[in-house]
Amino acid sequence: MSDDTLSKGGTPQETGRLRVVVEMDSWVSSLAGATGPLEFTETLPPGASIRQALEKISSRHPRLARALWDQRGSGGLGPNLEVIVNDAVLGVRRELDSPLRENDRIILTGQYVGG
Amino acid sequence: MTGRMKTETMNRPPRVLRVDLTQGRLWDQEYPEQQWRGLLGGAGLGARIIYDEVPPETGWDHPENRLVMATGPFAGTPLWGTGGLTVVTRGAMTGGAASTQANGFFGTNLKSTGYDAIIIQGASPDWVYLHIGPRGAALRDASHLRGRDTWQVQQDLEEELCRRGRQLSVFSSGPAGENRVRFAAIQGDYGHVASKNGVGAVMGAKKLKAVAISRGDVPVSVHDGPGLERLAGVISHGVRNDPGTGYIYQLGTLPVVRNLVKLGALPIRNYTTNLWPEDVPGEIWEGQALRDSMAHRGHQCSACGMHHCHMSVIASGPNAGKIVDEPEYEGWSGCGWTIGCTDPQEAAWLNDRVDRACVDVNEFGWLTGWAMECHEKGLLTREQLGGIDLKWGDARAAEKLLDMIVRREGFGDVLAEGVKRAAEHIGGEALGCAVYTMKGAVPRGHDHRGRWEEMLDTALGSTGSLESGAMVAPHELGLPPRINPYDPAEVPRVVAGMLGRRHFEDSLGSCIFTTRAPLDTLCQALNAITGWDYTAGEALRFGRRTACLFRAFNVRSGIGPELDYPSKRYGSTPVDGPGKGLAIGEHWDAMVAAWYELAGFDPRSGYPLPELLRSVGLNAEAEEIWG
Ligand code: SF4
Repeated sequence: MSDDTLSKGGTPQETGRLRVVVEMDSWVSSLAGATGPLEFTETLPPGASIRQALEKISSRHPRLARALWDQRGSGGLGPNLEVIVNDAVLGVRRELDSPLRENDRIILTGQYVGG
Repeated sequence: MTGRMKTETMNRPPRVLRVDLTQGRLWDQEYPEQQWRGLLGGAGLGARIIYDEVPPETGWDHPENRLVMATGPFAGTPLWGTGGLTVVTRGAMTGGAASTQANGFFGTNLKSTGYDAIIIQGASPDWVYLHIGPRGAALRDASHLRGRDTWQVQQDLEEELCRRGRQLSVFSSGPAGENRVRFAAIQGDYGHVASKNGVGAVMGAKKLKAVAISRGDVPVSVHDGPGLERLAGVISHGVRNDPGTGYIYQLGTLPVVRNLVKLGALPIRNYTTNLWPEDVPGEIWEGQALRDSMAHRGHQCSACGMHHCHMSVIASGPNAGKIVDEPEYEGWSGCGWTIGCTDPQEAAWLNDRVDRACVDVNEFGWLTGWAMECHEKGLLTREQLGGIDLKWGDARAAEKLLDMIVRREGFGDVLAEGVKRAAEHIGGEALGCAVYTMKGAVPRGHDHRGRWEEMLDTALGSTGSLESGAMVAPHELGLPPRINPYDPAEVPRVVAGMLGRRHFEDSLGSCIFTTRAPLDTLCQALNAITGWDYTAGEALRFGRRTACLFRAFNVRSGIGPELDYPSKRYGSTPVDGPGKGLAIGEHWDAMVAAWYELAGFDPRSGYPLPELLRSVGLNAEAEEIWG
């Protein structure tokens, strides 16, 4: 899925890179051209923020980018997807510009629209 | 007993069928177009009718309560999902306004008979059903339909009226309505339910078993046909392709279970946990997997291209081979997760039983989950439960409980009053386990401790359910595209800011899933149909006016700010999961105060403030309330 997926590799100290796990449910993964739920590892520069991770992932998938970001130019997230970092919705413990840590888990899921 | 029907071809005046069940009298009421512009249909018409015609002393089961079953200007047009109805009345759960919607073919069929709405008053001495068709409207004997469930009534009337499929729309309230189960719903067209605030109990109190509408031959007149066709394409294209609604187009609300658990908003075992059980594979609850777990075929409503409603065949277990309506998310919640049932086949079967008996699946879920928890804790004995060993997740035991409730048998008579009243009846520790609002309603099938805006909306709303609803096109209302759902400052801003938009949608005669479009686009469609020049501003004023009428109706009935609270369990703090430790209770009073200020309501009396009333054209009401 991701060209940055690590199949093997050392500790962050050894690689000088930061690795986080990204999870998408079926609906979100379909925006990235996949079928079914998706989980992969994303490699980022040390100290990368949640925003940087999301920008990197969404830059590979225009439909995902359109769904993820506010299309009215606020620079923030749009109304369609929810971002959860380590089980907390964005805004609870961390913001878009908070730094990521090794093995953090980013979950992208559909924004709740009723039902 | 028979009403007069006229066939109009173009620009007929809006027409309402009035029915007095006490006297067995039917008559037509026509509205001047300018007045109708301020009512539209659905929630707008209903709010006006109950405010004007149902005084505070008229209880939900009093014959003079009104039961409004209305469609709106979109009905019968090529716009997607325009077969719906809105039911407005004084509801049995809160004793205040009810406004609840269902889809199917009702609206399209009603429109084809030349009517826009039905307003029912009085109570029949004997069980009757109302039939409306190309040759008129009439009340007919329904003694042979007594005890029949909603699907059976539909089948019986198909035989009797020699029509089926979209040629006949039938809405009834099942055995639950007959026995005045307080949370009885109104269900029709095999699986579409107007479920909130006990509207089926009102129907039952009137001894009205069903409303059946045979498709008529009155053409739907449209001001600008090509323009409407174009807008229908724009709206449906948007619903199909918008990243926020695309999954509803493909799978309806099926993906919501897996979605909500990640957000800490899936109610598991009556709010006792937010953790997905380790022994339940997540894959079987993915949206596509749920659909594919049963043989299925589409069962879409009038003029709807969504891949949403389906008929399914139970694949395994003792009910294998039986046909059911594919559950909505609310069914998976109320007949599944809320009661600890994690087998989709069992939950789907139970959901079908609930629909046929005709009770609100949300209330049933909270009631059953509460009873299961109380049974586990020894607060409700097996003897009290009529010998049922009501264990978490046991859908068969829940089905037996449903039968007890619907027949009001033994303790079922207490449970038939809903979870708030049943918990108050038991009292003590049991009271603290029940999920409800102090007004007497229950939340939808979510854990609102992970969706603070929905708890605020449910507890403060005037209609016995969500009143503002989920955000749609928030930029139009000056709202942010997304908020942290636990933010005590942003939550009241969004709930108050959205107030009225849903009432506008619910007055158009369409489905909320197919009207997830900017207000401006919806107004263009309305104008193409009517020739008016409606704007988003007028739509919002309309919605706020409707909200004011519902609220004023409630407050003058004694439902004021002192009831703007969740129950202890409903407003509790999650002990695990994504919302662990995030305590809404600490912020409640401040959020309520902010909401009142932003919505323009008086926090002491609860009434809409005079400036707000005047700004939405309710000058007489401002005078009446404030002098
Ligand atoms: S979206 Fe679903 S409920 Fe709404 S009209 Fe279409 S099929 Fe019916």
